[in-house]
Amino acid sequence: MKKIIIQGLITISLFFASWLFLVQIDWTSLLKVQKITDKTEEKLGDLFWEVYQKNTHENKNPLIVSAVDSLVTKICSANKIDRESVKIHILEEEDINAFAMPNGHLVVYTGLILQSENPEELSGVIAHEIAHIQLNHVMKKLVKEVGLSVLISMTTGNSGSDIIKETAKMLSSSAFDRGLEKEADIKAVDYLIMSKTDPEAFANFLYKIADTESEVTTYLTWVSTHPESKERAEYIIDYSKDKKVKYQSILSEETWAKIREKLTAE
Amino acid sequence: MINTAKFDYEPTEHEAEKASNSYLMSLIALIVGLPLPIINLIATLMFYVGNRKGTYFVRWHCTQALLSQLSMLLINSYGFWWTVSIIFTDETITDNYIAYLITALIFNLTEFIATIYTAVQTRKGIHISWWFYGSLTNLICKSDI
Repeated sequence: MKKIIIQGLITISLFFASWLFLVQIDWTSLLKVQKITDKTEEKLGDLFWEVYQKNTHENKNPLIVSAVDSLVTKICSANKIDRESVKIHILEEEDINAFAMPNGHLVVYTGLILQSENPEELSGVIAHEIAHIQLNHVMKKLVKEVGLSVLISMTTGNSGSDIIKETAKMLSSSAFDRGLEKEADIKAVDYLIMSKTDPEAFANFLYKIADTESEVTTYLTWVSTHPESKERAEYIIDYSKDKKVKYQSILSEETWAKIREKLTAE
Repeated sequence: MINTAKFDYEPTEHEAEKASNSYLMSLIALIVGLPLPIINLIATLMFYVGNRKGTYFVRWHCTQALLSQLSMLLINSYGFWWTVSIIFTDETITDNYIAYLITALIFNLTEFIATIYTAVQTRKGIHISWWFYGSLTNLICKSDI
C-alpha cells in the first residue's frame, strides 16, 4: 500500500514539476500570441470604424479637429503614450457621448464638446477613454460580450455585416463593468495630473451631468451608460485632492468660445 | 515505467485477445473523442462493465486500462475547460496555459504509446504491469482462486 501511495505521489509530482518547468519558457512571445491578438484588434477597429464612417458624418473643421487633437496630444505626451496609437474622430451627433473602439479609435460626439463648459472637462472625458484603450478594456469587453470566436470570424470575413454593426453599436451604447470604469477613472485622473490639467473639471462635468440627468436623458448617452455619476465625481475629487500640481489651461477661453460657436452654428 | 511481470497463470488465446481489446478500446476512443476527454472514459468504462465478470487476466487488464483513463480524464478535462473559458470568457492565453497544454500532451502521448505497447503484448499473452497503475490494479483486482 505504501509503495502505491509513493508511486502515485511521484506521478503527480512529475506532472506538476513538468508544468512548472515548462511555465519558465516565454511561450506567448515564442508563439507570437500577442502578434495574432494585435492583428485581430487592428482589423476589428477598422471594421467598426467603417460602420460609423458610413452611417455618420465626421466633423473635419480644422479649428475643432486641431483643438481636440491638442488635448489628446497633451495627455499622450505627458504620459508617454504613443500619440499615433490614439486615432481621434469627431462625429456630428447631438448625443453627449464619447467611446473607445479596438485599435485605439476614439470617437467623440460634437454633443459632448458642446456640453463641456471648458476644455478641461472635455480633456477629462478623453483621458477616461484613453485609459480604457491603454488598459485594454475594449478588447476585454468585446471578448466578454461577443466571444473570441465571433470576433475572429468577423476579421476573417465569415461574419455577417449585421453582427459587425450590432457590435459596433454596442461599443457606443453600453458601459464597461463598474470595476473597469473605476479603474479608467483613476487612470484618467493620473493622466490629467501628469498633463497638468485640473481633474476637478472632470468631476464637475460629472456632477453637472448628474444633475441634468433626470431632466434630459435623451441625449445623455455617455452618462446613462456610465452610472452613478455623482459617486464617480466624489472619488475623482477624493483621489486628486492631495496632489499638489500647478494646473495649466490647454486652450484659451477665446478658442474654446469659438469652437462652441462654430458647433452651435452647424 | 512498464515492466513485464509474471502472471499467476498462462492466459489462453481468447483471454489474451479480450485483455488486449480493453486497451484498443481506449485507443479508438482517444482518436474519436479527442476534443471531449470524457468519451475515452465512457468507452473504457463500458468495456470494463462488460468484462468485469470475465477471467482474472481480462479483468486485470480492463481495470488497468480504466485506471489510466481516469487520471487522463482529470488532466484533459482541466485543459478542456480552460480552453473553453479562453474562447468564451475574458480569460486570455498565458504562458501558464500553454505550459499546461504541453504537459498534458506529453502525459497523453506517454499513455498513448504505453497503451499501444501493452495492447500488442497482452495480445501475445504477455502480462504487462504499469508503474503505479499496475500496483493499484493488484490492489483492486483479486484472483478468484
